[in-house]
Amino acid sequence: MLIIKDLHASVGDKPILKGINLTVNAGEVHAIMGPNGSGKSTLSNVLAGRENVTVTSGSIEYLGQDLLALEVEERARAGVFLAFQYPVEIPGVGNVYLLKAALNAQRKHRGLPELDAMEFLALVKDKMKLMEMNESMLYRAVNEGFSGGEKKRNEILQMAVLEPRLAILDETDSGLDIDALKIVANGVNSLRHPERSMILVTHYQRLLDYIKPDYVHVLAAGRIVRSGGPELAHELEKQGYAWIGNETSGQEVSSGS
Amino acid sequence: MSTAIAHYQSEFERLGSLLPWQDSPQWQEWRRSGWAHFASLGFPTTRHEEWKYTSLAALEKLALSCAPAAPEAPQPTWDSLKARAVLPQARYRAVFVDGRFSPQLSQLDGLPAGIAVRPLSALSVRDSLGLQVPLQAVRARTPFAGLNAAFMAEGAWITAAAEASLDDPLLILYVTTRGGQAQHVVNAYHLAAGSRVAVAEQYLGLTDEAYFVNQVAGVRLETGAQLSHVKLQQEGGRAYHIGALQASQQGGSRFESHSFALSGAFGRNDMETALLEPGASVVMNGLYRVASREFQDFHTCIRHESPDCTSDEYFKGVLDGSGRAVFNGKIVVAQDAQHTASRQSNHNLLLSDQAEVDTKPQLEIFADDVKCSHGATVGQLDEAQLFYLRSRGLDPDHARTLLIEAFALDLLSSIGHAELRAAMDHLMRGHAHV
Ligand SMILES: Nc1ncnc2c1ncn2[C@@H]1O[C@H](COP(=O)(O)OP(=O)(O)O)[C@@H](O)[C@H]1O
Ligand SMILES: [Mg+2]
Repeated sequence: MLIIKDLHASVGDKPILKGINLTVNAGEVHAIMGPNGSGKSTLSNVLAGRENVTVTSGSIEYLGQDLLALEVEERARAGVFLAFQYPVEIPGVGNVYLLKAALNAQRKHRGLPELDAMEFLALVKDKMKLMEMNESMLYRAVNEGFSGGEKKRNEILQMAVLEPRLAILDETDSGLDIDALKIVANGVNSLRHPERSMILVTHYQRLLDYIKPDYVHVLAAGRIVRSGGPELAHELEKQGYAWIGNETSGQEVSSGS
Repeated sequence: MSTAIAHYQSEFERLGSLLPWQDSPQWQEWRRSGWAHFASLGFPTTRHEEWKYTSLAALEKLALSCAPAAPEAPQPTWDSLKARAVLPQARYRAVFVDGRFSPQLSQLDGLPAGIAVRPLSALSVRDSLGLQVPLQAVRARTPFAGLNAAFMAEGAWITAAAEASLDDPLLILYVTTRGGQAQHVVNAYHLAAGSRVAVAEQYLGLTDEAYFVNQVAGVRLETGAQLSHVKLQQEGGRAYHIGALQASQQGGSRFESHSFALSGAFGRNDMETALLEPGASVVMNGLYRVASREFQDFHTCIRHESPDCTSDEYFKGVLDGSGRAVFNGKIVVAQDAQHTASRQSNHNLLLSDQAEVDTKPQLEIFADDVKCSHGATVGQLDEAQLFYLRSRGLDPDHARTLLIEAFALDLLSSIGHAELRAAMDHLMRGHAHV
């Protein structure tokens, strides 16, 4: 599904990602954890195609294509979805309008007929139930005046409607109370599928109690310093990230030191 | 005397005997003083503070005819105009083609009791004198309002008797089909106590040749009267449009003014309202859009002359290409205008590096117990919003259009009259998607 090789990326003149290697197979869920400022959102943005991040070397292969050669919207239509850490508010653009335009852009790309208003509403209302969202949110402007939790739910609603092949969830858990977290996790779990891969970016282990990852990676100072199974998340929970300082300078990562 | 003034003087002499109400000494004096005002000031240059950013040099060079179209001149059909009309289904409409009222294209039968809409050309001398009431103050507002007073021959005269109401909005459509002309048209509104009128004035250019619309509006609102007013400029690619509007408002009256300058090579609007008695309120909103080498300029002035009045002013600009715009918003609060509530804002969206806007709030507050706020911004499309929309699969062009539309359409929510609001919404969406 996704093969990232020796990825280096900068924001302005500042190198942020310093040699990322990561392979995600179809159906797998990978968690990427790490302290604030380690480059998790930068990596998410590179995958989605944000222009202010410059890839200086390395490659990303997605479903056999060169992902970096695709425009932002081409990636989206090819099935890449980023749930933003900070979803932006867009006054004046209706939530339902965006959902429909997004879905139809993707369907058109795949040679499917566009959905009419009735078909679309039936589909979206179904997905809203899953996210326990009030239908009135459809008729508000995109994220405008939404609470933190509503914004995150709205991101997962978009994901549920768009049914991506590769979903990157950037700190979808942060700022959620436990009830909201459960709803979001439930939504995400219902979207697990053998043909769909997910990258869960998170600072805390808490989300991983509800969404079980297949692999856990620790990102520090722009590199993946450790990889392991779900147990690594628990270890991090106990130890915190303080130990990382010792390891980042090292070349190789040993397990369980 | 400059060549431009000499040109208009010879037009004045040539056409003088063809202008209406020749026999009336009041109108003779009106035209003479209007001419004198224009002739003494001439075309303002950029050395005038009020015209600092606004060059009229190109307009000054044009030798335009001030004669309205001949009555037998060919006219477009209503079917062909309908597609462009802001109120295609308007029950009442006054249509002017090349500066002359068109009875065939107009529809003014069955107006509600107490409401009258009359073209100037149909007014007897006796009926015409009432026009001078709402137009009194505006004719000295700018040199061009003076020029208008000298030449005015056509336009719409709208009156409402006490408590009368025109809720089906009236369309006043000025169509220009050929270049080379200067039209000096007038809209005059006199609304008696407690009356209500909704109207859209639309200026539509159907030619790419150069022409000049020199337009004046006078508004007088008696106690509790309400005027919902939309002015829409969709002039031709080489057109000049200069407008002056002056309103006077008695106690409890409400003036809602929404200006949309959507196209034309050059536009300038001088707008002023005076809140003369307690409880009067005004909404003075507008949108200017410029692209390629277009220019739009709004100079507005709201005078709080009395206590307990409110004003809301909200202007937005969308600037593309090498377009330029000017917004100058003056608020004057007189010494005894206590408890004034006044808000003003001007937000601009720059879509290109070459586009430029000069925005200036000008507050002159002489009372102490007032709430006045103002703010101006100049910004670009938000990269994070664009990225968000594209990351959901939308084309960059689609994403840009949505964001520009959202920026501009936000203004429409303040149009209180539902039908006018819906009509503008329809027109603007079409416009933005073209
Ligand atoms: N737009 C930006 N401009 C400058 N520096 C940035 C920008 N975005 C991120 N950074 C820097 O990049 C580093 C990684 O940030 P980020 O990817 O957001 O980390 P994380 O998501 O892991 O907290 C930080 O040092 C941050 O300061
Ligand atoms: Mg982050």
